[in-house]
Amino acid sequence: MKWLKIVRTFKEGCVNFYRNGWLSFATVSMLAISLYIISVTATLGFTANLVIASLQDKINVSVYFNSGVSEERIVEIKNKLAQYDEIKSVDYVSKEKALEELIDLSGGTDTINKALEEIGENPLLSSIVIRANDPEQYGKIVESIGNSFFKDDISVINYEENKSVIDRLTNMILMLRKSGLIFGLVFVFVSVLITFNAIRITMYSHRQEFEVMRLVGASNLYIRMPFVFEGVLYGLVAGAVVMIFLFATSYFISPLTDGNIPQGNLLDVYFGNFFIILGGLFTGGILLGVISSFIAIKRYLKV
Amino acid sequence: MIKFENVSKIYQGNFIALENIDLLVGNGEFVSVVGQSGAGKSTLLKMISAEEQPTEGRVYFNDRPLDTIKKKHLPYFRRNIGTVFQDFKLLPQKTVFENVAYALEAAGETDEQIAEKVPEILDIVGMSDKMEKYPHQLSGGEKQKISLARALVHNPLVILADEPSGNLDPISTWEIIQLLLKINSLGTTVVLATHNKDTVDKIAKRVITMEAGRITRDEVKGKYVI
Repeated sequence: MKWLKIVRTFKEGCVNFYRNGWLSFATVSMLAISLYIISVTATLGFTANLVIASLQDKINVSVYFNSGVSEERIVEIKNKLAQYDEIKSVDYVSKEKALEELIDLSGGTDTINKALEEIGENPLLSSIVIRANDPEQYGKIVESIGNSFFKDDISVINYEENKSVIDRLTNMILMLRKSGLIFGLVFVFVSVLITFNAIRITMYSHRQEFEVMRLVGASNLYIRMPFVFEGVLYGLVAGAVVMIFLFATSYFISPLTDGNIPQGNLLDVYFGNFFIILGGLFTGGILLGVISSFIAIKRYLKV
Repeated sequence: MIKFENVSKIYQGNFIALENIDLLVGNGEFVSVVGQSGAGKSTLLKMISAEEQPTEGRVYFNDRPLDTIKKKHLPYFRRNIGTVFQDFKLLPQKTVFENVAYALEAAGETDEQIAEKVPEILDIVGMSDKMEKYPHQLSGGEKQKISLARALVHNPLVILADEPSGNLDPISTWEIIQLLLKINSLGTTVVLATHNKDTVDKIAKRVITMEAGRITRDEVKGKYVI
C-alpha cells in the first residue's frame, strides 16, 4: 500500500516533469544558474585560499647571529624557538649554505668568487628563518627574541625592514578573506532566492489542481509527493547541466591557472574531484529543489 | 444521512452566508437547492464536504458531526462524497482516463481495480471513446461528464453537484441531469445546487429554495418558485 503510493507519486512526478516541458525547462535553468554561481564562488574561494596560503608562506623573518656563535648554540636556540605556539617553522641556514644560495642567486658569475677571494673568508652570517602561524604575530615574536637569553648572540633581525611589506600583505589577506566571504554569502543567498521563487511560480501554476486533488480524496502527502519527486528531478538535471558548464569553464580558464595551483591546473582539479563535485551538485540541487517545493506548496494545502 | 442543526456561517466582515439552517436529507434522496446567486447554495454544499466549517451549529453525515473529523482524516471522509463543479475542475495535464483514475489512485486501489473500474464508469457516462484525450480537447458537456465520472468512480454515498449545468448548452444540461437521475435511481443521494428553472421543474423532486442565507421553502415535489 505505502510502496504502491510511493511508486505512483514518483511516476506522477516524472510525468509532470515531462508534460510541463517549458515550465520544467525554466525551473531547471534557474536552478542550474544558481548552482553554477555557487560552484564558481566556491572555486574562487578555493583558489584564493591557495594563493593566500602561498603568500603567507613567503613571509618570514630572519635572525642573523654574530660570527662567533657556534653551530651547537644556534641549534639549541632553534629547538627552543620551535616550541613557541606562535611559530610554525624554524629553519637553520648555515653561513656556507647562505653563500651557496647567494651564488645560485647571482647566476654563478665570477664577480662573487672574485670578491670572496679578495676577502679571504666567507663574510656571511649564520641565521635562522622563522615562519609564524599568523603573520600578525611577527611583531610579538621579534620582541620576545629581542628580550631572550640569547639576545647577545644576535647580530641583526631583518624584521624592521620587512615590517611594512608584512603589514601590507597581512592587511590584503584579511581583506581578501572578508570580501570573499561576504560576496560568497551574497551570491549563495541570491541563488537560493532565485530558485525558491522559480519553484514557487511552478507551484502557483498548479494551485487550482491542488484543490481538486483534495476534493477527490487525496491526502496532503499524496498531493505533495509528486512535487517533491519533481524537485528531485530538477536537482538531478540541473546538477548534470552544471557539471557540463563547469567542465567548459575549467577548460577555457585552465591555461591561465597552469602552474599557479598545486594540483597543476583547473582542469586537473575538475577531473581529480569529479565525483565529489558531481555529488555536491546533486546534493545541493536536490536539497534546493525539494525544500523549495516543500515550502512553496505548503500554502496551497490548507483546508 | 445529512443533517444540518441550526447552522450559521458568517464570513469576515459580518457577511452572513447561512443563517439558522435546519435540514434533513435522507438516504437515496434527490434534492435540488435553488436560489439566486449569493443565496448560500454553494456554502451549503461546502458544509457537507467539510470544506467550510459552520460558525454556529453542527452538520452531521451519517450521524457523525463533521467538526469532530481530524484534518488528516478529511481525505478519507471525502471519499464518501463525489463533487461536481460548474467549472469541471479537471486536471489539465492528465488524460480523461488519468483524471478519473486519480481519485482511485489516491485512495490506494490496485492497478487492476483501476483498469477495470475506470472504463466501466466512462462507459456509463458515454465517454469511453475519449479516454486518451486531454480536457482541452473536449467540449463543455463532455468535460462535465468526465467530472461526473470522476465523482462516481469510488462509489460515493452522496453526489454534490454545484451548478453542474452552469456552463452548458440546454442539451448537454439535460444529459447531465439525466445521468444524475440515473445515479440517484441506483441508490446514491444527490444534492444539486442550480438556478436553472427548467431543469428543476423537469426533475420534479424535492426542492429547497434559499434566499439570503435562509431556507424559505422546502417542497417534496417542488418547482422553481421565486
